Amino acid sequence: MTDMSIEDYLAHGGKLTSPGNVPPRYRGELLRLMASFVDSELAASAGFAEAINDAAGIKSRIAAARIVLEKADHAERVLNIMAEFGVDTERYEGVHPWAARLERDADIGATRQGGDMRLSVFHYPLQGWIDAVVMNVLQGLAAKVQIAEMAKVSYQPLAEVFRAIAPIETRHAELGAEGLAQIVTSEEGRAAARASLAYWHPRVAAGFGSAHSTRFERLSRMGLRHKTNEALLAEWTAAVDAQLAALSLN
Amino acid sequence: MARFLPLDVTHVQHDTRDAVVVTLRPREEDAERFGFIQGQYLTFRREFEGEELRRSYSICAGLDEGSLKVGIKRVDGGAFSTWANEALKPGAVLEAMPPMGNFHAPLDEKAGRNYLGFAGGSGITPVLSILKTVLSREPKSRFTLVYANRQMSSIMFREELEDLKNSYLGRLSVIHVLEAEGQEIDLFTGLVDAEKMKSLFRHWVEPETVDMAFICGPEPMMLTIAGSLKDHGLSDEQIKFELFASGQPGRAKHKAVSKTADSGEACEATVTLDGATRTFRMPKSGESLLDAALASNMDAPYACKAGVCSTCRAKVLEGEVEMLTNHALEDYEVRQGYVLTCQCYPLSDKLVVSYDQ
Repeated sequence: MTDMSIEDYLAHGGKLTSPGNVPPRYRGELLRLMASFVDSELAASAGFAEAINDAAGIKSRIAAARIVLEKADHAERVLNIMAEFGVDTERYEGVHPWAARLERDADIGATRQGGDMRLSVFHYPLQGWIDAVVMNVLQGLAAKVQIAEMAKVSYQPLAEVFRAIAPIETRHAELGAEGLAQIVTSEEGRAAARASLAYWHPRVAAGFGSAHSTRFERLSRMGLRHKTNEALLAEWTAAVDAQLAALSLN
Repeated sequence: MARFLPLDVTHVQHDTRDAVVVTLRPREEDAERFGFIQGQYLTFRREFEGEELRRSYSICAGLDEGSLKVGIKRVDGGAFSTWANEALKPGAVLEAMPPMGNFHAPLDEKAGRNYLGFAGGSGITPVLSILKTVLSREPKSRFTLVYANRQMSSIMFREELEDLKNSYLGRLSVIHVLEAEGQEIDLFTGLVDAEKMKSLFRHWVEPETVDMAFICGPEPMMLTIAGSLKDHGLSDEQIKFELFASGQPGRAKHKAVSKTADSGEACEATVTLDGATRTFRMPKSGESLLDAALASNMDAPYACKAGVCSTCRAKVLEGEVEMLTNHALEDYEVRQGYVLTCQCYPLSDKLVVSYDQ
């Protein structure tokens, strides 16, 4: 057998399987990717928890509570993989105030706040049930696209977690869509939904990162990324357009 | 946090000229923690010349064997594997972490699955654990093993595989591929390459009947096999990889410590990231090494900035730092010079740090 470096192996689509065989730079990028997911899920779960009490009826309450529960569960599953790299999970869970939000009109673009790696969209506060549902529809569709991308990562244990949670996250977006369909049956509901769409659309879009990312090439050589930010954003835009068209909201 | 526990060595069996099978027994109070899933591995630690080495070896026992066994093949220049092959005796005590790894598929005793396993050299160990477990726990399932070795004499578990074929008549097929020894059929000679995979699927296995494939061996072999499995219609979910020992980072070198006196208020930091090295001045207090590197436009990795997640880990090659908190690195990593850069402040006037090691 010829010798092959880990870098070559990864560049050709190889998979890594344990902390013992990841090179140092790969380790850093992998942990960053996992931290970003965990922080986003914890912030999403914490933010949505308040929406439970805004829910219109029992079915909606159950849907919201389920999203809160399952997003926390997904954070935990990825955190368990981080634990194999030495991360102190108990401390990690308390390291940032996950329910904290900035002002509604804060303008932070796509920038992370300090060591909190949540996607910037999770720094904005929800305003009532309709707003929460709209945000969940848009971000739910984004999560679907992003998780499909992450299900291909070259760290096999993580790819497996993403494959396992993908259908559940997709279901969250569907619950949002069902809620939104309910909301737009009234004219006030439709108007409020449009206002929320205008607010959240650019903020969710920012989560796909900048076009022509300089990090993409490096991450793609490591097998940690496959599609460009632009391609993922385009997929999301198409999914959102289709969803909104179905509800006559474009 | 990972914890090492003692394991008593009860048996050491020389399987080939340069491979041993080591039977281990956990202490009674730890027995539960060493319950394993087929295909998992154990990480051992041992000191060699004052330096701690950690090595992972796959469990080669099936779930129903009632024992814990690992196979260790001697690697040229490998301190641990050489020691295990030459000096390890029953009665010795090894330290290992509880089993880890996810190289398996959930068992279903009612299922009649068709499994395909590919092993190169000592990559057989986890595959053997899986195949034995599957054959005993899923009575309707079948397993085809393609097993690549240099020559007949280096085949690990050769007799055991023969015995298994006889006990599970018709349910286990083993195809030996030997690199250095010609055999009657071409398929069985040389390396497992794309051509061989094609002929395997033409003559031996119908790809559409395969439920799950396991691959453990050298990197090029795994890539070739995975590529071919995908060409024949298998999805990512159906292909399980286990990268074995060759992927483990080599022995850590001793760090060079500069003896330059600590005098000024500023430090000259030299940081390497992705092969590029940059030197900048930073204050000795008020700004962490990570923040200083970020301020110098280096795209250093980080996440929590609280000393918990270890994303910002780097190695100090020269100079001294103070690490305020550390909830992620273990003592042995710290001894090797690893630090969490978000928690690091320079103590010496000169500092050389690398994120690439």
